[in-house]
Amino acid sequence: MNEIINIVGKEVVRNVIGLVGVLVVVVVNVLILTWVERKVSGHMQRRIGPKEVGPFGLIQAIADGIKLLGKDIITPEDVKKPLYFLAPIVIFIPVLVSFVVIPFDSFLQVKDINVGILVIFAFSSLSVLSLLLAGWGSNNKYSLIGAMRSVAQNIAYEIPLLLALLPVIFMCNSFSLKDVVEAQKGIWFVVYHPIPFLIYFIAGVAETNRTPFDLAEAESELVAGFHTEYSGMRFALFFLAEYSNIFIICAVATIFFLGGYQGPILPGIIWFFIKTYALAFIIVWFRWTFPRVRFDQLLNFSWKVLIPVSFLWLLITGGMLKIL
Amino acid sequence: MDTLTEFFPVLLFFVVAIVFTLAPVLISYLVAPRTSGKKTLTTYECGVKPFGGAWIRYSASYYIYALIFIAFDVDVLYLFPIAVSYTKGAKAYEFYSLLAFVLILAPAIIYAWGKGVFTWKRKIQL
Repeated sequence: MNEIINIVGKEVVRNVIGLVGVLVVVVVNVLILTWVERKVSGHMQRRIGPKEVGPFGLIQAIADGIKLLGKDIITPEDVKKPLYFLAPIVIFIPVLVSFVVIPFDSFLQVKDINVGILVIFAFSSLSVLSLLLAGWGSNNKYSLIGAMRSVAQNIAYEIPLLLALLPVIFMCNSFSLKDVVEAQKGIWFVVYHPIPFLIYFIAGVAETNRTPFDLAEAESELVAGFHTEYSGMRFALFFLAEYSNIFIICAVATIFFLGGYQGPILPGIIWFFIKTYALAFIIVWFRWTFPRVRFDQLLNFSWKVLIPVSFLWLLITGGMLKIL
Repeated sequence: MDTLTEFFPVLLFFVVAIVFTLAPVLISYLVAPRTSGKKTLTTYECGVKPFGGAWIRYSASYYIYALIFIAFDVDVLYLFPIAVSYTKGAKAYEFYSLLAFVLILAPAIIYAWGKGVFTWKRKIQL
């Protein structure tokens, strides 16, 4: 009996430490990514970007956070209250839970669940629900149009996202993210599977509602899409979830295709963050390179190109594994 | 017991996520000033009075995409168990069963394509 309590106690302590670490990563990631986004955007448009608060404007994001905390929380009178209040909570749950299974280093992982990637996918489909809650609950036409679009978009791009990871799972026969990384000791999977990597990345950009696929919140036509009616801290929560989602998409791409924490000389965790933020930088870069696509083009690109190509690649992978 | 320890962190993170989102809203509720004007609480619609409600009927094009998604996604999930137990070399029948599975699945897209779902028409009869 004592032994069981001992083991359970150890497990709980381990998880709580992991939780604190993850919360730090989530918050720091948002601070870094917003800073990178504004600085990179600035330089791409021949501006300087934030520079007043702290060295190189590094503390700007913290100042913005404090400002948002001091903003009045307005609940418009026409909203459907339960749905409106629930949406920012529901959008954050999948983000935080996904961090449970991400291996930052060979020993830095909250829990190596043997169905790791399924946990991430199962929870990330919850975020669609939250967008719909926000859009419907706001009782605002822009919000509703934005929510409808983003639901159609998210479900269309979820399939290529799953299919692009399948060839990798075919090769290493495991859902555990740690096993996937360990299988890439010699050669990264991006060498075997360049096309699934591209498909995954495109679908990932679409899943996070980033330009060129940001029709859900197209600011020039829909104001802000599903979060038009949200202000102050509730808006900040949507923001937090969006940037954390970018991190998760990039982290999963790193784990499945770029060898995760594997790399020479430097410790694993540094390699992991270098690769992840390199991908995040590319996503920010996209925003100032590609114009927004039209909505039917967006959906049809997924159904007509990405899904058939990833099926074909799956078959080729299956065949090659048998022949070689 | 075993599954509980396996998925305990998921449960913990789930609960903490709720607390973590409620806390800043609560703090903000206590700290932030209140504004009260005649129009502060109206729904935003580019500065004019909201014209009717937002809860109206909606274009059915989205509905058809949702239908194919359901037909498709459930099947794609069955590929995951195949992926885990797929072996390298020998046992060629594994590849044939994968091929058969994909060949049964692919007509779903071809059928929708043929029916003109991807041309974004007003009315489509499936």
